[in-house]
Amino acid sequence: MDYIRDYSLVFIFFVLPIIFVIQPLFLKKINDFENQMDLSSLKRKKRLLYRQIKELEMEFDIGNINQKDFETSRKELKVEVSEVITKINANKI
Amino acid sequence: MNSNKKFTIMIAGVITVVIFWIGWVSSNPKDEKAMASFISVEKLLNDKMKKRTKLGGLVKDGSIIISETNYLDCSFVLKEGAAELKVKYDRSRPDLFKDGAEVIITGQYLDGTFYADELQTKCASRYEGDLRDESSYKLTEIET
Amino acid sequence: MTPIAGAVALNLAFGFSILSIICLFIFTLNEDKRLFLTGQRLSLGISFFVFLATFILWYQLIISNFDIDYVARYTSIETPFIYKISALWAGQSGSLLFWLFILSIFATITVLQNQSKHHGLMPWVIISLSIIQLFFLILTNFVTNPFMPTDADFVVANGNGLNPLLQNVTMAIHPPTLYLGYVGFSVPFAFAISALMNRDTSTLWIQSIRRWTLVAWLFLSSGIILGGWWAYQELGWGGYWAWDPVENASFMPWLTATAFLHSIIIQEKKDMLRIWNMALIILTFTLCIFGTFLTRSGVMSSVHSFTASSLGPIFLIFVFLILIISFSLMYLRRSELRSEKRMESFTSRESGFLFNNLVFVVMCFAVFWGTLFPVISETVRGTKITVGPPFFNQINVPIGLILLALTGVGPLLAWRNTSKQSLIKNFTFPILSGLMAAIIFMFIGFKGSVVISFSLSVFVLATISTEFKRGISARTKKFNESIFKALFAMVSKNRSRYGGYIVHVGIVFMFVGFTGHAFDKEKEFSLTKGQSDHVAGYEFTLLKLSETERPNHYAWISDIRVTDNKGEYVTNLYPEKRIYFHKNPDVNRRQPHSELDIYSTLNKDIYSIFSAVDNENGVAFIKIMVNPLVRWVWIGGYILVIGTMIALWPRKD
Repeated sequence: MDYIRDYSLVFIFFVLPIIFVIQPLFLKKINDFENQMDLSSLKRKKRLLYRQIKELEMEFDIGNINQKDFETSRKELKVEVSEVITKINANKI
Repeated sequence: MNSNKKFTIMIAGVITVVIFWIGWVSSNPKDEKAMASFISVEKLLNDKMKKRTKLGGLVKDGSIIISETNYLDCSFVLKEGAAELKVKYDRSRPDLFKDGAEVIITGQYLDGTFYADELQTKCASRYEGDLRDESSYKLTEIET
Repeated sequence: MTPIAGAVALNLAFGFSILSIICLFIFTLNEDKRLFLTGQRLSLGISFFVFLATFILWYQLIISNFDIDYVARYTSIETPFIYKISALWAGQSGSLLFWLFILSIFATITVLQNQSKHHGLMPWVIISLSIIQLFFLILTNFVTNPFMPTDADFVVANGNGLNPLLQNVTMAIHPPTLYLGYVGFSVPFAFAISALMNRDTSTLWIQSIRRWTLVAWLFLSSGIILGGWWAYQELGWGGYWAWDPVENASFMPWLTATAFLHSIIIQEKKDMLRIWNMALIILTFTLCIFGTFLTRSGVMSSVHSFTASSLGPIFLIFVFLILIISFSLMYLRRSELRSEKRMESFTSRESGFLFNNLVFVVMCFAVFWGTLFPVISETVRGTKITVGPPFFNQINVPIGLILLALTGVGPLLAWRNTSKQSLIKNFTFPILSGLMAAIIFMFIGFKGSVVISFSLSVFVLATISTEFKRGISARTKKFNESIFKALFAMVSKNRSRYGGYIVHVGIVFMFVGFTGHAFDKEKEFSLTKGQSDHVAGYEFTLLKLSETERPNHYAWISDIRVTDNKGEYVTNLYPEKRIYFHKNPDVNRRQPHSELDIYSTLNKDIYSIFSAVDNENGVAFIKIMVNPLVRWVWIGGYILVIGTMIALWPRKD
């Protein structure tokens, strides 16, 4: 019965990995790599930008950044956030 | 001047200072123990180098003599190939120091004797099986 | 049968790595997503087979299958279980497999972590990781294979076993901790290469690798400190850092990695220092490979050195290839790397970080110079000139002190430009504290560099507390919280920043510990029962000398009473002189060892070594070292780890 064990081991550790690896090649050809991802990564970007705005506010409260720079940077970040939100809404449709 | 140039000059300045600093220390180390020339025993004996030198070799079997009056004081013969050198060392000896041990000594040569102030033995051999040393392999035979 | 399976698994991993690289490379050309998926799965397959091979080798070590050369060399039937496990990284071929194993874990995590994050960087990230895996697979398959059978024409009954001197827990975890650090930098490096290949050198790659970098840095720092701890506790020369080539090999990547860790903050916030960041991570990763190579190939003679082997040239070639390819890529993408933003003032946080980068790189170069000095001098002058600790200390102490000062100055600088009022407001208290400390220390009679070191430490601690105070008062003003609530909320909402400040506190403590060296004292003397001797204001009396036989060694135990200069009792020390394999008929295989005893307080360590025993006359030869402030190094180390963990603490999102 040893050869049953040997063959099953070969199957699990050799044949299965190979099947796992070549399986995607049999899917229908999809050239469109970028598309489906946008929503989740946009949401992530939005959270990141909000966090950056909060950090900027904290730096201003501490005094690490002067008023003018603070307002310029905050405006830039807010513009970025609204761009991202627009893209998110567009995507949802 | 524009700020980019300012920073480039600063960086260049720092680098120049650093190069000079390192070069200066390399040529004038404050401590005499900072540098040692690592040479062969043969070269030391031929050139009778007075500078601080570092030598490597084996402890000649049977050459270790420990002073009767001061246990820390010892002398031995360092053997590198055919060259032999009398060595005196007066600090505590590392555990692996014995006949045939591979050692690295640092110190000064004067009138036929080498006065070592540093003595290092090679790391415990059974950590990395020494391919040159068959006895490091403790293979035991099985009676058949 | 299973050892062969292990070798076959390595073969398959090798094949998969080549296929993965090819597959993903073609994908980058024709954008057929199926090729990406297959390539990604091939990468997971590499890791799968590496895991298999590693577990098989571990199994062989555990069951003591001495038909495998590696098992016979590094274990024996008597070897305790935990050291059969750690034997995986005891020898050259096993440790390379272990490197590969860790790399495969990290590669798998990277692939799985980024499956839902589509940012276009992944193909080249996986290609880069697969190439590194390929390198180690070439080594373990064709150059130094851990599954080699034992070369003997008789059945091997028992293996060599691990030297009992190396059987302690620190020795078991120091190498893997370091490796986790070395290998950890592969991931940020892979992302950097990918950013270059994709012409996307914005903050995307930085954001993807910030946590990775911190984790790798934590392991590297811990590994280095553990190595120092072990050397201090076990090796008996009274120190924890010898500027040994292998120690330096771990320190250099630490320096560039620390610079990188700080510098990426600037790129994230201001999109500057892009070129620096690329260069720093390339250097860090290269130095990690170089460090692995220095430790494992016996090229530099050092206390760590192992037998020379063919590994050296191969590693060197890999290092050169990494450098040439990476820097060429940087050159090709130089227009993307140039930032439009400009540094404006010397007293800005940006320039502080720039200067920080510079100093770290300078120190790295200084260490590199000293480490390779023997090789350089031999090439240039014909004589090999070795350099010892005094050389390294003379060069590095000033640079280190500048770094310490920067640690204090940096956080108090504002973005873009610090106004004169801010400068005065922020720096007055710290500078005054530092100056006052300097005056006090000079009054006590300390000399130059000691005064500077201690005063700077006070300065930095003052700046860190200023930072905490500024943050807390900003919150209490805005949100009307109590101080404790403000502190907690502040740290919680800014874990990187305040965790980082805590790490700085740890570093300051370590500097205090380092400075203690200036006051080290030592003396060697012999004692018979009842005799005393003095050193550094302490009196050491030998109360008793006894002998005992233990399972694997014979021991002479000295009982030394320590009193201070007022006659007050301090402690008893029990250093031992041991002989391992004492029953071995071959006298040369008996191994003497001095088991230290250390009395440690915040103030100083009293370090006792039983160097030799004269049995007939009952004489013990003792070496005593009084090392002030050593404990501060270890305390600083703990604080460093805690600070890093705070910085790493995951957020809900």
